Amino acid sequence: MPGDVRFVERPEAESSYVRAISQGLGITVRHFLRPDKPTQQYPDEKWELAPRWRGTHRMAVHEDGRAKCVGCGLCPTVCPVNCIKLIPAEDENGERYAAVYEIDEFRCIFCGFCQEVCPVEAIHLGVHYENAEYTRERWVYDLARLCENDHPVTALWDPADPSSE
Amino acid sequence: MSDAANQITLTIDGVDVKVEAGTTVLQAAERAGIVVPHYCYHPGIPSRPAQCRMCLVEIEGQPKLQPSCVFPAGDGMVVHTASETAETARKSVIEFLLLNHPLDCPICDAAGQCMLQDYAFETGQLRSRYAEAKLVLGRDRVADDILYFGDRCIICTRCVRFMEDIAGDNALVVAQRGHKAYIDTFPGKDLDHAFRGNIVDVCPVGALVHEDFVFKARAWDMDSSAGICPGCSTGCNIDINVKENRIVRTKPRLNPDVNSYWMCDHGRRCLVATNLRERAEAPMIRAAGELEPASWNESIEWVAERLVSGPGVSVVSAGLSNETLFYSHLLLEWLGIAGGAFRVETGEEIELKGFPKLKLRAERAPNGKGAELLGFRRTDSLPEVPDGATLVALGDGLEGAPAEYGANAGFFLYIGSHLPAAAHNATAILPATTVPEMEGTFVNFEGRVQRFHRALRPPGVARPAWMFLSRLLERLGAGQGVLDIRAAFAAMAAETPGLQDLTWGGLGLRGALLNGDGQPAVAAGEGAAWKR
Repeated sequence: MPGDVRFVERPEAESSYVRAISQGLGITVRHFLRPDKPTQQYPDEKWELAPRWRGTHRMAVHEDGRAKCVGCGLCPTVCPVNCIKLIPAEDENGERYAAVYEIDEFRCIFCGFCQEVCPVEAIHLGVHYENAEYTRERWVYDLARLCENDHPVTALWDPADPSSE
Repeated sequence: MSDAANQITLTIDGVDVKVEAGTTVLQAAERAGIVVPHYCYHPGIPSRPAQCRMCLVEIEGQPKLQPSCVFPAGDGMVVHTASETAETARKSVIEFLLLNHPLDCPICDAAGQCMLQDYAFETGQLRSRYAEAKLVLGRDRVADDILYFGDRCIICTRCVRFMEDIAGDNALVVAQRGHKAYIDTFPGKDLDHAFRGNIVDVCPVGALVHEDFVFKARAWDMDSSAGICPGCSTGCNIDINVKENRIVRTKPRLNPDVNSYWMCDHGRRCLVATNLRERAEAPMIRAAGELEPASWNESIEWVAERLVSGPGVSVVSAGLSNETLFYSHLLLEWLGIAGGAFRVETGEEIELKGFPKLKLRAERAPNGKGAELLGFRRTDSLPEVPDGATLVALGDGLEGAPAEYGANAGFFLYIGSHLPAAAHNATAILPATTVPEMEGTFVNFEGRVQRFHRALRPPGVARPAWMFLSRLLERLGAGQGVLDIRAAFAAMAAETPGLQDLTWGGLGLRGALLNGDGQPAVAAGEGAAWKR
């Protein structure tokens, strides 16, 4: 047999698992008997999210339903993961608008830079997290879908103290 | 450089700088590496109205601030460009300019390369003290293809003075006065000068925008590479701006020996147009009756096995680079096809009055002189193809050829970047890159050899023609295959009279004149950085 194998005898009190098991069960029983129940009946009950929660994007729209985006190209420039695709164009009034605007929510890291950099407060992160889909393609949100989203928008900073972190 | 007696020394911000008498303070400061902000002054436009008041500097002994763009430098002068008085004056000018400026940088095409944005940022005034409503002038069209955004304009009058001093056509004027002033065409006149596109380049802000470019790309989205305009035999030095592998804009690149700060509108259009039409993307061989795509190895082998020396005709192009023409000539020599020829499109010659050397020349191809130097001659028409002869079409787009052109040839080798109808009669098609997709050299009308750099990725497996032609020649046992443009240039220079003393690296960004025929070879340095 290669090498020396030593067998160490430990006292029964140390090696027994009975004590650890009862300790663990003790925790279980304590929680079982708790008066407040932390388990939540999702999706019937939903979490209350913080106002600064950074989730699914949302595009602000004008009263007539047009997106507020002017296609300036700052969000694709600032985006650290290149998840925004923007092709600007000229509309019939000679105004600049986003002919193509797509956000890949799969690639997005929800840093909020796009919202911070937007000069017309058009693109926002949202206080929203439920975006399961059957296909990967559905995770690329186009402009129409971003405009349709109506969840609350993220407050990136405390409105009472905007210069603080 | 003139003699020492003509030299004066002055001190600018503590830096001693020696310049020739007659230099302005602003130019002297530039020499010392100090940028004095300015709008109305443009080094290429002779008139200096000193009206923007941006370049005011403090000069010791002068009672007031002086506009450095017109104030001549004097011996022993002490200049402060960044003293408190000068800075305050500059801040006030910026504040005035921004009174009615819409601050629409997010949608302005000049953002990122705007002098107003840069200097406003530098002086650091984040808030305007102007509480009244801004004057709105809206937008106008000063030419068929140039838009004017009146709100953004700072009335530096560079565009007006370009048209007056350089183009010699007083088509633009400043209409109205004071804060209501705007740029307009002279009543009853149209801005239709062939060099009008330059007013967009001289505009220090985003007031003048080319319609083809409006909202196309942000300044920071574009890559820029140094090219040569293929529009005519002048060979203007240009910057090719590329976004996502498409040319979105071409701008003149400063070369005092060729085009100064300018280029014509024909040149601006012709490169952007190369984005279009059906491209040859893979080698094709007619192995079993039909043209089928094949690999490069396979095609070169296949072509080399079938090419035979014998009767034949050829057509090349004055749009090809020197290196390509050199290897084309070797191939035609091997084939025994004498006297390759090229067709050149011609058009009206248009002058630029303020810079007479620069013209839109009648010969609308960049390298006619180079093709002649490398042993080709001009022709007016496509050669007749005798039945069963070898036909080599190299770089010529076969414009005006009937659809069945070349169908009766024994072997029709088509080498080109695009696929006209007649190219489908070819026995083999070898896909070449267009000029912006490769490196190379052209020889312009006066014999200046100029280098151009690659701006685009070629489509498919298209390669520079000199590269695969040299490989084909190696396979035919008539040369050495090269993969490097330096080696291709060296091989050509060694065998071509006029090019012998030139090297690829030595051409730099400003090019060099051909030696021989009485012209000395000019050692060329790197071109000066492009300045507005």
